[in-house]
Amino acid sequence: MHPIARVYRTARTAVLAGRVYTSYKVPRILDRMRGIDPDKRDLSEIHERNAGLIYRNAVALRGLMIKLAQVVGTRSDVFPPEYVKVLSQCHDAVPPRPWAEIAPVIESELGRKVDEVFASFDRVPVASASLAQVHRATLKSGETVAVKIQYPDIDQVIRTDLANTTRLCAVYERFDPQPVELMPLLTEMQKHLAFELDFRREVQSGERIAELFKDDPSVRVPRVHHELSTGRVITMEFVGGIKPTDKAALEATGIDPLDVVQELMRIYTTMILARGFFQADPHPGNMFVNAYRTEHGKVVPRFTLLDFGLSKELPDGFGYGLFNLMFAMMTTNEGAMVRAFTELGFETKNGDPSTLLLIAKAMNRRAAGGQFRGEFTDEVTDDLFNTIRENPVVKVPSDFVLVGRAFSLLSGIAHTLGGRANVLNAMAPGTADTGRRPS
Amino acid sequence: MAVTHESRLEFKPEELLSSPKFDTPLMAGGVLCHGGFGADGNYVSPRTLWRDPAVRAWQEQHLKTSPYPLVEIPQDVIPPHLPSVEQAKLLLKEGVREPMVRTLTEIAIVEGFGATIRDLPVPPIASFIREDVTGTALAHLTGGLFEAHARDEAGWGAEGGHKQMWEAARDLALSKPKVPGDILMAIMGRRGGGGRGGRVLPYLKEDVERVIGFMTNVLIIEVFAVSTFQWAEDVLSDPAVSDAPKDAADMVRYIRADESPHVQYLRTALSEISARTLIGEDGKEHSGHEAVQAMLDRSLRFIIRQRREDRREQMHASIRASAKGIVKDVEGLIERFDRLETPWQPPARYLEAPADASAALAGR
Repeated sequence: MHPIARVYRTARTAVLAGRVYTSYKVPRILDRMRGIDPDKRDLSEIHERNAGLIYRNAVALRGLMIKLAQVVGTRSDVFPPEYVKVLSQCHDAVPPRPWAEIAPVIESELGRKVDEVFASFDRVPVASASLAQVHRATLKSGETVAVKIQYPDIDQVIRTDLANTTRLCAVYERFDPQPVELMPLLTEMQKHLAFELDFRREVQSGERIAELFKDDPSVRVPRVHHELSTGRVITMEFVGGIKPTDKAALEATGIDPLDVVQELMRIYTTMILARGFFQADPHPGNMFVNAYRTEHGKVVPRFTLLDFGLSKELPDGFGYGLFNLMFAMMTTNEGAMVRAFTELGFETKNGDPSTLLLIAKAMNRRAAGGQFRGEFTDEVTDDLFNTIRENPVVKVPSDFVLVGRAFSLLSGIAHTLGGRANVLNAMAPGTADTGRRPS
Repeated sequence: MAVTHESRLEFKPEELLSSPKFDTPLMAGGVLCHGGFGADGNYVSPRTLWRDPAVRAWQEQHLKTSPYPLVEIPQDVIPPHLPSVEQAKLLLKEGVREPMVRTLTEIAIVEGFGATIRDLPVPPIASFIREDVTGTALAHLTGGLFEAHARDEAGWGAEGGHKQMWEAARDLALSKPKVPGDILMAIMGRRGGGGRGGRVLPYLKEDVERVIGFMTNVLIIEVFAVSTFQWAEDVLSDPAVSDAPKDAADMVRYIRADESPHVQYLRTALSEISARTLIGEDGKEHSGHEAVQAMLDRSLRFIIRQRREDRREQMHASIRASAKGIVKDVEGLIERFDRLETPWQPPARYLEAPADASAALAGR
């Protein structure tokens, strides 16, 4: 990375941090001077303005900044909803890099010229994300493949950004009397990013998921060409298909959209609750649906899962703990909720378990309008995380946040298709809920 | 407690959900559970203040007005529990506790799932039954009966239900054992309930068939649970293998007492369907009796054939996974285990090919 670029990134990051910080502090000082309680100020407008500012900077700077923005967009347990709403859009906001920057990565990683390896290579990518972009190509054998290529210098960019951000956070936490705890998030990100930047791990994760479903014809993971894959390039079979939210296209192939909901829920519930290892980013861009005919002649969906960069091993007993929490929520049993929180690894910073009971009580109060029925809708997860955020003495296990977000994404897909993403129904045979939304 | 007689046939949901007054609540392993003890010290089930007399009144009404007796699940179709009492005791005496922990935890989980009965969509009764259903159990399914059943199974509010009570029995008898992390895999591995073949009553609307099928399945499971209760009581009350023989076995007895209202209301409602005329999707009339019998026949065939071999394989896998390092000869233990299985053959009539239900049940 060029030294000027490094200085530019550092300066822009520092200016951004300064603008965000002062946008909160100056009104507080002014409020105090006017004799107004600053804690009573409605901050939603400032949150919204800052979220937009961070979004624009993240898209421009990419690297860690866009990753950080993506993480904020998933952590409704920590950040206000205005941030979550704006920054969750970062997933679809990364423009691709030009071919001239990408081709050298392929050649240095594979040790050969692009045209020595591939019969043809589309220079316009089919997808781009925060760390890499994907091109369609044809091997000399004639097989069509997808090639995922890491952006050049991305590891250095991220190292620079991490150093900058860590310094800024340290300064902020030192001087702010009531800081939002950002360091644990950064540490967690550092760990995840190391995994995500090593594509060999992603390949291993994909193959592990493929192994979990080896006897299940409704799940497919693209086959990887190991000889054409490295730590920064993955070459895999090209699989097309229908986006799971494209109801009209599903119906045109004879697939019942509600079968898509039920199968998708079964697949993710199997990974999360039964197997303890899952692809943690089930947004509609990370999967395709194709139709296949069973031996009984029924047309059913087959899912191709993509992008295993964010795959997660869950702790032993997590699935059972989550199951118990769902039951406790369903029956509004506060004591059982507290036991389940503890099983899942929730901790109170002051060691007082009664705080967990406060959260359970608050969740029941929020749920007064409608009892939990096994589906982590946006509303349920927002309620859950908002309740937790309002009790800052509670530490939420990051696994729980990832799983909550995954189920919330699945619920979004289900609702688009007119169904319900009921976890309990997906788990058990013959349960009463048909997955259909009440008409 | 004296059995009350109720002449009225109409009940409000809150009546069917109301409990008798308890002198002492039921606490198990520090967890508040439903039900409690009367002044005489006897256990009293929750939500039975009006539910029990109501079900008795509906049953009497049915027997007075219908040519059909109450629906019965034949006793000879109930398989003995696997593992048997002797098999379970063998494992526990050998120090191989995990299969027992799994079995009891799975029972707790399955009981908890019973709560999903409240989510069963029931179409308006008049849309699929020709005759009046005022003053029947059928008319009260979504008016308190399903909700009471759901609360009994999974608990409600601060009170634990059967899920928590089975967990308490396990934790008392086996001193709070660690639950295997992959416990949910076995439950999900048994998926396929939807794969019981095609429709049994294709002339009815699908949601009507689902209601009849669901209630039939739950009734069979509840009746089959009799052997599970007896097994659990026999094993958990043995001081040679149980750390809390009295308390753990008592817990199972309480659950058993609570299940009786479920069996009774389900058989009453199915009997009431039996005694009436069903309206098909095309408006034609069909015999309720034949529909219920066809559904019972199919569900019994499926459950009887499905359960035993799968269960044996799961037990073997669980013993192999957990006995290593505890017993020297794991395969020898499995052989001894198999020799203690209670032999059982399903009645021959359920092994024959079923009659073509849809042909037999053509519209009148």
